[in-house]
Amino acid sequence: MVREVAESCVDTMLMEMVAMYSGRFYANKPELAARRIEAIGYQVGHQLSERYTMERPRFSDHLEAIKFICKDFWSEVFKKQIDNLKTNHRGTFVLQDNKFRWLSRVSVEPSPEKETEDPSTPGESKAAQAVSMYLYFPCGIIRGVLSNLGIPCAVSADISSLPTCSFVIRVKA
Amino acid sequence: MQFFGGSEISPSPPVPTASGNNAHMMYVFNRNGICLLYKEWNRPLHTLNPQQDHKLMFGLLFSLKSLTAKMDPVNADKGNLGVPQLPGQGCSFHSFRTNTYKLSFMETPSGIKIILVTHPKTGDLRESLKYIYSLYVEYVVKNPIYSPGSPIKSELFNTALDQYVRSIS
Repeated sequence: MVREVAESCVDTMLMEMVAMYSGRFYANKPELAARRIEAIGYQVGHQLSERYTMERPRFSDHLEAIKFICKDFWSEVFKKQIDNLKTNHRGTFVLQDNKFRWLSRVSVEPSPEKETEDPSTPGESKAAQAVSMYLYFPCGIIRGVLSNLGIPCAVSADISSLPTCSFVIRVKA
Repeated sequence: MQFFGGSEISPSPPVPTASGNNAHMMYVFNRNGICLLYKEWNRPLHTLNPQQDHKLMFGLLFSLKSLTAKMDPVNADKGNLGVPQLPGQGCSFHSFRTNTYKLSFMETPSGIKIILVTHPKTGDLRESLKYIYSLYVEYVVKNPIYSPGSPIKSELFNTALDQYVRSIS
Protein backbone atom coordinates (compact mmCIF):
# COMPACT_ATOMS: atom_id res chain seq x y z
CA MET A 1 0.00 0.00 0.00
CA VAL A 2 1.46 3.30 -1.06
CA ARG A 3 1.09 6.14 1.39
CA GLU A 4 1.16 9.61 -0.06
CA VAL A 5 2.17 13.00 1.28
CA ALA A 6 1.41 16.39 -0.22
CA GLU A 7 4.38 17.78 -2.09
CA SER A 8 4.02 21.14 -0.42
CA CYS A 9 4.67 19.41 2.91
CA VAL A 10 7.94 18.00 1.63
CA ASP A 11 8.93 21.36 0.11
CA THR A 12 8.20 23.24 3.31
CA MET A 13 10.04 20.68 5.40
CA LEU A 14 13.14 20.97 3.23
CA MET A 15 12.99 24.76 3.49
CA GLU A 16 12.69 24.55 7.25
CA MET A 17 15.52 22.04 7.51
CA VAL A 18 17.91 24.37 5.76
CA ALA A 19 16.63 27.36 7.72
CA MET A 20 17.06 25.53 11.02
CA TYR A 21 20.54 24.23 10.32
CA SER A 22 21.94 27.36 8.78
CA GLY A 23 19.99 29.81 10.89
CA ARG A 24 19.76 28.21 14.32
CA PHE A 25 21.97 25.22 14.95
CA TYR A 26 25.10 26.30 13.15
CA ALA A 27 24.25 29.94 12.74
CA ASN A 28 27.69 31.29 11.86
CA LYS A 29 29.24 28.12 10.57
CA PRO A 30 27.80 27.47 7.13
CA GLU A 31 30.30 24.68 6.41
CA LEU A 32 29.13 22.69 9.43
CA ALA A 33 25.48 23.27 8.56
CA ALA A 34 26.21 22.16 5.01
CA ARG A 35 27.95 19.04 6.18
CA ARG A 36 25.07 18.15 8.50
CA ILE A 37 22.48 18.63 5.78
CA GLU A 38 24.56 16.60 3.37
CA ALA A 39 24.81 13.82 5.95
CA ILE A 40 21.02 13.74 6.29
CA GLY A 41 20.81 13.53 2.50
CA TYR A 42 23.28 10.66 2.58
CA GLN A 43 21.07 8.63 4.92
CA VAL A 44 18.00 9.38 2.83
CA GLY A 45 19.77 8.39 -0.38
CA HIS A 46 20.96 5.18 1.23
CA GLN A 47 17.45 4.13 2.15
CA LEU A 48 15.85 5.28 -1.08
CA SER A 49 18.34 3.30 -3.13
CA GLU A 50 17.41 0.14 -1.21
CA ARG A 51 13.77 0.73 -1.98
CA TYR A 52 14.19 1.53 -5.66
CA THR A 53 16.67 -1.23 -6.55
CA MET A 54 14.75 -4.02 -4.86
CA GLU A 55 13.93 -6.11 -7.92
CA ARG A 56 16.94 -5.24 -10.01
CA PRO A 57 20.13 -7.23 -10.57
CA ARG A 58 23.48 -5.74 -9.69
CA PHE A 59 24.84 -2.97 -11.88
CA SER A 60 27.60 -4.13 -14.20
CA ASP A 61 29.64 -0.95 -14.06
CA HIS A 62 29.67 2.62 -12.82
CA LEU A 63 28.03 3.98 -15.93
CA GLU A 64 25.05 1.67 -15.49
CA ALA A 65 24.61 2.84 -11.93
CA ILE A 66 24.78 6.50 -12.97
CA LYS A 67 22.25 5.82 -15.71
CA PHE A 68 19.97 4.28 -13.13
CA ILE A 69 20.20 7.48 -11.13
CA CYS A 70 19.52 9.62 -14.19
CA LYS A 71 16.48 7.69 -15.31
CA ASP A 72 14.68 5.57 -12.74
CA PHE A 73 15.82 7.19 -9.52
CA TRP A 74 15.32 10.76 -10.71
CA SER A 75 11.84 9.90 -12.03
CA GLU A 76 10.86 8.37 -8.71
CA VAL A 77 12.09 11.29 -6.66
CA PHE A 78 11.60 14.29 -8.97
CA LYS A 79 9.04 13.00 -11.49
CA LYS A 80 11.35 13.62 -14.42
CA GLN A 81 14.63 12.32 -15.77
CA ILE A 82 17.98 13.99 -15.90
CA ASP A 83 18.16 16.02 -19.11
CA ASN A 84 21.83 15.71 -19.88
CA LEU A 85 24.59 13.35 -18.77
CA LYS A 86 28.23 14.05 -19.51
CA THR A 87 31.26 12.05 -18.53
CA ASN A 88 34.98 12.18 -19.09
CA HIS A 89 35.17 8.39 -18.81
CA ARG A 90 37.68 8.83 -16.02
CA GLY A 91 35.36 8.87 -13.05
CA THR A 92 33.69 12.28 -13.42
CA PHE A 93 30.02 12.56 -14.35
CA VAL A 94 27.93 15.69 -14.78
CA LEU A 95 24.17 15.33 -14.41
CA GLN A 96 22.22 18.30 -15.69
CA ASP A 97 18.62 18.94 -14.75
CA ASN A 98 17.14 21.81 -16.72
CA LYS A 99 14.38 22.54 -14.25
CA PHE A 100 15.35 21.15 -10.87
CA ARG A 101 12.13 20.63 -8.98
CA TRP A 102 13.31 21.84 -5.59
CA LEU A 103 14.67 25.04 -7.07
CA SER A 104 11.77 25.77 -9.39
CA ARG A 105 10.39 28.52 -7.17
CA VAL A 106 13.64 30.07 -6.09
CA SER A 107 14.07 33.48 -7.51
CA VAL A 108 16.97 35.73 -6.71
CA GLU A 109 15.95 39.34 -6.42
CA PRO A 110 16.98 41.54 -9.32
CA SER A 111 19.40 44.20 -8.15
CA PRO A 112 18.60 47.58 -9.68
CA GLU A 113 21.13 49.71 -7.81
CA LYS A 114 24.32 48.02 -8.95
CA GLU A 115 26.22 49.98 -11.53
CA THR A 116 28.82 47.37 -12.37
CA GLU A 117 28.03 43.84 -13.48
CA ASP A 118 30.75 42.49 -11.19
CA PRO A 119 29.83 38.92 -10.21
CA SER A 120 31.96 38.99 -7.09
CA THR A 121 29.99 41.73 -5.36
CA PRO A 122 28.84 40.78 -1.84
CA GLY A 123 25.13 40.87 -2.72
CA GLU A 124 25.53 38.39 -5.54
CA SER A 125 27.55 35.88 -3.55
CA LYS A 126 25.19 36.11 -0.56
CA ALA A 127 22.26 35.19 -2.76
CA ALA A 128 24.26 32.44 -4.42
CA GLN A 129 25.33 31.12 -1.03
CA ALA A 130 21.74 31.16 0.23
CA VAL A 131 20.59 29.12 -2.73
CA SER A 132 23.54 26.73 -2.55
CA MET A 133 22.49 25.70 0.97
CA TYR A 134 19.45 24.05 -0.59
CA LEU A 135 21.61 21.89 -2.81
CA TYR A 136 23.51 20.04 -0.12
CA PHE A 137 20.54 17.78 0.53
CA PRO A 138 20.18 16.47 -3.05
CA CYS A 139 23.97 16.12 -3.30
CA GLY A 140 23.85 13.97 -0.17
CA ILE A 141 21.06 11.90 -1.63
CA ILE A 142 23.09 11.14 -4.75
CA ARG A 143 26.16 10.28 -2.66
CA GLY A 144 24.05 7.99 -0.48
CA VAL A 145 22.60 6.16 -3.45
CA LEU A 146 25.97 5.59 -5.06
CA SER A 147 27.68 4.48 -1.89
CA ASN A 148 24.94 1.94 -1.29
CA LEU A 149 25.57 0.63 -4.80
CA GLY A 150 29.23 0.23 -3.92
CA ILE A 151 30.57 3.38 -5.56
CA PRO A 152 32.20 5.82 -3.14
CA CYS A 153 32.21 9.31 -4.57
CA ALA A 154 32.01 13.03 -3.92
CA VAL A 155 29.09 15.05 -5.22
CA SER A 156 28.85 18.79 -5.70
CA ALA A 157 26.32 21.04 -7.39
CA ASP A 158 26.62 23.94 -9.76
CA ILE A 159 23.94 26.60 -10.11
CA SER A 160 25.41 29.09 -12.49
CA SER A 161 22.12 29.30 -14.34
CA LEU A 162 18.90 28.81 -12.40
CA PRO A 163 16.66 26.82 -12.69
CA THR A 164 19.14 24.59 -14.48
CA CYS A 165 21.14 22.65 -11.95
CA SER A 166 24.17 20.42 -12.56
CA PHE A 167 25.41 17.76 -10.17
CA VAL A 168 29.06 16.79 -10.52
CA ILE A 169 29.94 13.29 -9.35
CA ARG A 170 33.58 12.39 -8.84
CA VAL A 171 34.05 8.68 -8.28
CA LYS A 172 36.83 7.85 -5.84
CA ALA A 173 39.30 5.56 -7.53
CA MET B 1 -20.45 48.34 -3.10
CA GLN B 2 -21.55 51.20 -5.29
CA PHE B 3 -22.53 54.52 -3.82
CA PHE B 4 -24.04 55.92 -6.98
CA GLY B 5 -25.08 53.75 -9.90
CA GLY B 6 -22.58 53.82 -12.76
CA SER B 7 -24.15 56.69 -14.60
CA GLU B 8 -23.28 57.11 -18.25
CA ILE B 9 -23.52 60.87 -17.89
CA SER B 10 -20.51 61.33 -15.64
CA PRO B 11 -17.31 61.43 -17.67
CA SER B 12 -15.26 58.28 -17.70
CA PRO B 13 -12.20 57.34 -19.71
CA PRO B 14 -12.73 55.29 -22.88
CA VAL B 15 -12.84 51.53 -22.46
CA PRO B 16 -9.46 50.07 -23.41
CA THR B 17 -9.77 47.06 -25.68
CA ALA B 18 -7.94 44.52 -23.54
CA SER B 19 -4.74 45.81 -25.05
CA GLY B 20 -2.87 44.86 -21.95
CA ASN B 21 -3.12 47.87 -19.69
CA ASN B 22 -6.48 47.73 -18.04
CA ALA B 23 -5.03 47.62 -14.56
CA HIS B 24 -3.78 50.82 -13.02
CA MET B 25 -2.00 49.56 -9.97
CA MET B 26 -1.86 46.84 -7.38
CA TYR B 27 -1.03 46.62 -3.69
CA VAL B 28 -0.34 43.61 -1.50
CA PHE B 29 -0.32 44.14 2.25
CA ASN B 30 0.28 41.69 5.03
CA ARG B 31 -1.51 41.49 8.35
CA ASN B 32 0.72 44.11 9.96
CA GLY B 33 0.22 46.73 7.29
CA ILE B 34 3.56 46.22 5.60
CA CYS B 35 3.26 46.80 1.89
CA LEU B 36 4.73 43.65 0.39
CA LEU B 37 4.22 44.68 -3.19
CA TYR B 38 3.22 47.77 -5.09
CA LYS B 39 2.97 47.51 -8.85
CA GLU B 40 1.98 50.22 -11.24
CA TRP B 41 0.95 49.77 -14.84
CA ASN B 42 -0.85 52.92 -15.72
CA ARG B 43 -1.02 55.70 -13.15
CA PRO B 44 -0.77 59.17 -14.61
CA LEU B 45 -1.70 60.93 -11.35
CA HIS B 46 0.37 60.62 -8.17
CA THR B 47 -1.13 62.56 -5.28
CA LEU B 48 0.98 61.41 -2.36
CA ASN B 49 4.46 60.06 -1.84
CA PRO B 50 4.71 56.25 -1.70
CA GLN B 51 4.80 55.94 2.11
CA GLN B 52 1.72 58.08 2.63
CA ASP B 53 0.03 56.38 -0.27
CA HIS B 54 0.51 52.92 1.25
CA LYS B 55 -0.53 54.06 4.70
CA LEU B 56 -3.64 55.72 3.34
CA MET B 57 -4.58 52.62 1.37
CA PHE B 58 -4.14 50.30 4.33
CA GLY B 59 -6.02 52.62 6.67
CA LEU B 60 -8.82 53.01 4.17
CA LEU B 61 -9.31 49.30 3.83
CA PHE B 62 -9.21 48.73 7.54
CA SER B 63 -11.90 51.36 8.07
CA LEU B 64 -14.02 50.14 5.19
CA LYS B 65 -13.95 46.57 6.46
CA SER B 66 -14.98 47.76 9.88
CA LEU B 67 -17.72 50.00 8.48
CA THR B 68 -19.22 47.33 6.27
CA ALA B 69 -19.30 44.79 9.08
CA LYS B 70 -20.93 47.21 11.51
CA MET B 71 -23.53 48.50 9.05
CA ASP B 72 -24.57 45.02 8.00
CA PRO B 73 -28.38 44.81 8.26
CA VAL B 74 -28.57 41.12 7.51
CA ASN B 75 -26.05 39.17 9.53
CA ALA B 76 -27.24 38.39 13.05
CA ASP B 77 -23.89 37.06 14.17
CA LYS B 78 -21.58 39.95 15.06
CA GLY B 79 -18.28 38.32 14.28
CA ASN B 80 -15.13 39.62 15.88
CA LEU B 81 -13.36 41.80 13.37
CA GLY B 82 -9.95 40.33 14.07
CA VAL B 83 -11.02 36.77 13.35
CA PRO B 84 -9.57 35.35 10.13
CA GLN B 85 -12.33 34.54 7.65
CA LEU B 86 -12.41 32.95 4.26
CA PRO B 87 -13.02 35.42 1.46
CA GLY B 88 -16.79 35.70 1.20
CA GLN B 89 -17.59 34.57 4.72
CA GLY B 90 -19.08 36.95 7.21
CA CYS B 91 -19.48 40.46 5.87
CA SER B 92 -16.55 41.59 3.78
CA PHE B 93 -16.53 44.24 1.14
CA HIS B 94 -14.95 43.31 -2.16
CA SER B 95 -14.95 46.36 -4.39
CA PHE B 96 -15.90 49.97 -4.80
CA ARG B 97 -16.27 51.96 -7.94
CA THR B 98 -15.89 55.60 -8.83
CA ASN B 99 -16.35 57.23 -12.21
CA THR B 100 -12.65 56.90 -12.97
CA TYR B 101 -11.61 53.58 -11.40
CA LYS B 102 -12.73 50.43 -9.69
CA LEU B 103 -10.92 49.12 -6.63
CA SER B 104 -11.19 45.38 -5.97
CA PHE B 105 -10.11 43.90 -2.68
CA MET B 106 -9.58 40.48 -1.23
CA GLU B 107 -8.38 39.45 2.20
CA THR B 108 -7.23 35.93 2.95
CA PRO B 109 -7.51 34.17 6.33
CA SER B 110 -3.77 34.70 6.78
CA GLY B 111 -4.21 38.46 6.60
CA ILE B 112 -2.81 39.01 3.12
CA LYS B 113 -4.74 41.81 1.42
CA ILE B 114 -4.69 42.09 -2.34
CA ILE B 115 -5.94 45.31 -3.92
CA LEU B 116 -6.30 45.81 -7.63
CA VAL B 117 -7.27 49.16 -9.10
CA THR B 118 -8.66 48.94 -12.60
CA HIS B 119 -10.83 50.61 -15.15
CA PRO B 120 -14.38 51.31 -13.88
CA LYS B 121 -16.04 49.06 -16.45
CA THR B 122 -14.20 45.99 -15.10
CA GLY B 123 -16.40 43.13 -13.98
CA ASP B 124 -16.15 41.12 -10.80
CA LEU B 125 -12.51 40.40 -10.10
CA ARG B 126 -12.89 38.07 -7.14
CA GLU B 127 -11.78 35.01 -9.09
CA SER B 128 -8.83 36.94 -10.51
CA LEU B 129 -7.76 38.01 -7.05
CA LYS B 130 -7.97 34.40 -5.89
CA TYR B 131 -5.72 33.41 -8.78
CA ILE B 132 -3.26 36.14 -7.88
CA TYR B 133 -3.22 34.82 -4.34
CA SER B 134 -2.43 31.36 -5.67
CA LEU B 135 0.47 32.87 -7.62
CA TYR B 136 1.64 34.48 -4.39
CA VAL B 137 1.55 31.14 -2.56
CA GLU B 138 3.32 29.37 -5.37
CA TYR B 139 6.15 31.78 -6.06
CA VAL B 140 6.58 33.77 -2.88
CA VAL B 141 5.58 31.63 0.07
CA LYS B 142 7.25 28.54 -1.36
CA ASN B 143 10.40 30.42 -2.29
CA PRO B 144 13.04 29.20 0.15
CA ILE B 145 14.88 32.50 0.21
CA TYR B 146 11.88 34.70 0.89
CA SER B 147 11.45 35.82 4.47
CA PRO B 148 7.80 36.45 5.40
CA GLY B 149 7.00 40.06 6.12
CA SER B 150 9.57 41.49 3.75
CA PRO B 151 8.83 43.15 0.41
CA ILE B 152 8.45 40.72 -2.46
CA LYS B 153 11.34 40.77 -4.89
CA SER B 154 10.81 37.48 -6.71
CA GLU B 155 11.29 37.72 -10.45
CA LEU B 156 9.21 34.62 -11.11
CA PHE B 157 6.30 36.11 -9.20
CA ASN B 158 6.60 39.49 -10.88
CA THR B 159 6.69 38.00 -14.36
CA ALA B 160 3.76 35.64 -13.79
CA LEU B 161 1.74 38.41 -12.16
CA ASP B 162 2.46 40.90 -14.90
CA GLN B 163 1.47 38.40 -17.56
CA TYR B 164 -1.74 37.53 -15.79
CA VAL B 165 -2.86 41.06 -15.00
CA ARG B 166 -2.27 42.19 -18.55
CA SER B 167 -4.58 39.44 -19.72
CA ILE B 168 -7.50 40.47 -17.48
CA SER B 169 -9.97 42.35 -19.61
